[in-house]
Amino acid sequence: MDLKTEAVIIGGGATGAGVARDLALRGIPSILVERGDFTSGASGRNQGLLHSGARYAVYDPDAARECISENRILRAIAPHCIEPTQGLFVSLPEDGFEYRADFIRACGNAGIETMPLSPREALALEPRLNPLVIGAVQVPDGSIDPFTLVVANIRDAESRGAVIFTHTEVVALVRGGSGMAGVVVRDLLSGEEFTIATAWVINAAGAWANTILALAGTSIPMSLSKGSMLITNTRLSERVLNRCRPPASGDIIVPNSTVSILGTTSLRVSEVESFDVRPEEAAFLVYELALMIPEIKGERFIRAYAGVRPLMQSGETDDDRSLSRGFSLIDHQKEDGISGLVTIAGGKLMTYRLMAEKTVDFICERMGMRVPCTTHSQRLPGAGIGHTLQDRLLHLRREIPAARQEVLCDCELVPRDEVEALLKEGKVRELRDILHRTRIAKGTCQGGFCVYRLLGMLNELNRNGERGDSNEILKDFLEERWKGIRPILWGTAMQEEELIETIYKGLFNLSGEGQGGAGIVNEEL
Amino acid sequence: MKSFDLIIIGSGLAGLMAARTAVDRGARVLVVGRGLGGLTLFGNTIDVLGRLKGETDVAAGVENLARNCPGHPYARTGWEGIDRALQAFQTLFLPPDNFVGKRRENSLLPTGAGTMRPTFLFPITMAAGAEMIPAATLIVGFRGFKDFQADTVSLHLGCRGAVIPFPRYGLGGMTTSAVARMMEDSSFAERVGETIQQQMAGERFVGLPAVLGLRESASVMKALEAATGARVFEISLLPPSLPGMRIFERFREYLLERGAVFLLGKQAGEAIVKDGRCAGIVVPNAPLATEYYADRFILATGRFLGGGLLAKIDGIVEPLFHTPVVQPARRGEWFKGRFFDREAHPVHQAGIETDAALRPLSENGAVFLENLWVAGSILAHHQVIEEKSREGIDIATGFMAAERALSA
Repeated sequence: MDLKTEAVIIGGGATGAGVARDLALRGIPSILVERGDFTSGASGRNQGLLHSGARYAVYDPDAARECISENRILRAIAPHCIEPTQGLFVSLPEDGFEYRADFIRACGNAGIETMPLSPREALALEPRLNPLVIGAVQVPDGSIDPFTLVVANIRDAESRGAVIFTHTEVVALVRGGSGMAGVVVRDLLSGEEFTIATAWVINAAGAWANTILALAGTSIPMSLSKGSMLITNTRLSERVLNRCRPPASGDIIVPNSTVSILGTTSLRVSEVESFDVRPEEAAFLVYELALMIPEIKGERFIRAYAGVRPLMQSGETDDDRSLSRGFSLIDHQKEDGISGLVTIAGGKLMTYRLMAEKTVDFICERMGMRVPCTTHSQRLPGAGIGHTLQDRLLHLRREIPAARQEVLCDCELVPRDEVEALLKEGKVRELRDILHRTRIAKGTCQGGFCVYRLLGMLNELNRNGERGDSNEILKDFLEERWKGIRPILWGTAMQEEELIETIYKGLFNLSGEGQGGAGIVNEEL
Repeated sequence: MKSFDLIIIGSGLAGLMAARTAVDRGARVLVVGRGLGGLTLFGNTIDVLGRLKGETDVAAGVENLARNCPGHPYARTGWEGIDRALQAFQTLFLPPDNFVGKRRENSLLPTGAGTMRPTFLFPITMAAGAEMIPAATLIVGFRGFKDFQADTVSLHLGCRGAVIPFPRYGLGGMTTSAVARMMEDSSFAERVGETIQQQMAGERFVGLPAVLGLRESASVMKALEAATGARVFEISLLPPSLPGMRIFERFREYLLERGAVFLLGKQAGEAIVKDGRCAGIVVPNAPLATEYYADRFILATGRFLGGGLLAKIDGIVEPLFHTPVVQPARRGEWFKGRFFDREAHPVHQAGIETDAALRPLSENGAVFLENLWVAGSILAHHQVIEEKSREGIDIATGFMAAERALSA
């Protein structure tokens, strides 16, 4: 199988998906290649915060302006991915009012509307706040669902002719003369390799940007910063809560549907895949954020996770190629004499659309095309469909035929039919794809019960086909789950851990490896 | 004022075994239990020591373990203590609903994941599972009963699987205990048997989830065997555990007949301690709190799940008597980096340190309270999950704690 297209996009995060949609809207055919599934990197490992820009107002007014502008655009084009919660910047006695004065002024300069609140008003809005709060400022923060956002961009691009390959890795960049001639890719599940002929390669691989550039013998100055976050079992506040002080670790709580996300830490790392959260980081976030909401100390947590943010190193970036202080579009013809290769790096989820716009503007200009960007005015597919728990429950009541009301996941109410419909679409290729596209394993038990059921259902549907060892898949899932669970094991989460371990190692004897597991089966039978 | 010879805190298998041992010696016993204990979650069979290191003789395995880990609960009871306790346990379960097993060795039983699992004693309804031949076995699940996946079990065991609808209701969404109750209706069990029979292709064994009735499960098994012409066996599944509920019910029936008092769904709030002795416990019963007094106390509250141990963000405590808890130095050391590490997670060996008579010790090595004994998984220095020793430890230490308490 060999293919040909105008542009190949590397990376299925928000940026890559945004570029694919922008190209499609301007009539330029493209193929997007993603090594894992959508949002496997920083796009899926952040706090899901719809920034108002207020957090940047004091120290980085340009970034703040970008944020508030994109904030308004996203509210208009992707309302189904957003919960317009509002946000509070909360002052505690130890914070004082010095920063708050600068903050309100800087927000005004950046065009971010603010509303100062008295302690009484703040506590009326958010009763769980520390009663010692001395004031708060309301800003237009919100929460956003990055996966739905990215999938909506992908679906729109696909419906306009873009081609998407997930679980597909770029193994070589093919040069032709002084420019790009194509890319060689490998399907990671089937092992098949094929070539895509193209004149343009857009490197949107995020933290992996330099892994791709190494294939062309070049690199960009980028550093990696790990941020760790915790998910609570219940929603702690109606609004996003920030500390009204200079940005620091452990200063934000983002509500998201029925849970809240506590963040974040910031740690320079050298490895791209530094996703482990240390127990001490979890404890730090709990103690620090309990200053804003004291009840956090008794709260149950369901998972910890970390994301690695690619940061462009300032100082080594020329002013003329730095489109903003947040992100960079690098023309490798100018830098390395390789025409047809561009890297779009840095930035944040909030500016994915703007990053895509600048990238496609650049390519259009090089192609000699004069087609304006329309991604800021065209709504994304799915807009208009409700996203709240209430909407999901109503949907569930409508969708499940009474005769087959089998719910696979009790925490998040995922019906068996939803999974069967997903399988029929034929786009999922492994367990993780199913988990990514449904709410299975997202709830309190984190897949401790429902993944066994899901695998049983897959075994049943595939009874006469070729079946692998589903217990190995189950063990891999439990191992992956462990990374998120281990840092938050105390209190109620510890009780559930004892239950889960007793089931899978004890009752189901999956430990194997010579301890009376699989080995014994072979000896005896 | 309510006064007893012995108050047992915890209604899991360890507490029940202690209560049974005490009533047999004529003691007036109060059992205070928050819930039904680990029994009803995963007490399917009686494990004594599933993980053996080369030995096949479980008694030899226990003696080696006791020698190598002198703090292990089995080092307190010895094989002889386990053996006596198991015999006492088995006298509660008379044929046809009896427990079986090899005399000194483990048997391998199929699990809900389709693996085989070693255990020491098991209900008669599971017995054919130890003898099944995969090529001659049909594994049957029920449509909509999602906690037992017949196709996962059959795939890994290498036999055939079938999923059948429930005869009467057809709908899914049934729970383990609801199915068990329906199975006790002989016409329902008969129709299940007929439906299974239609799926069979000459198999001589039929494996089902462990839902064959809450009582008299052997007769449900016999009815299914008559309808299918095959040997029928139960397979353990995701919690709750019906075989565990049967054990609980049998103990409760026996203990009530002999005058024991149960406070179920209640949690001891605090202990009344005076002059190095426990005088009583306070059980909150909003808006009141009731005090119960006794000469002796047994703590058998289990681990984290049972509420016997409380994991705080900065350390593990025993919340009732505040006995010292041996544990890793920092929370970062509680768990290994991998879930399926070859070694047990260190936190699982945390627990209460005792003297040779199962009395908890203070940090200085002295007896913590002179009339308090400890039984079950709250004890330190074992690895119930990896060792597969949960029920053995519960039964043997429950038995021993009651004997020691009453002879003190």
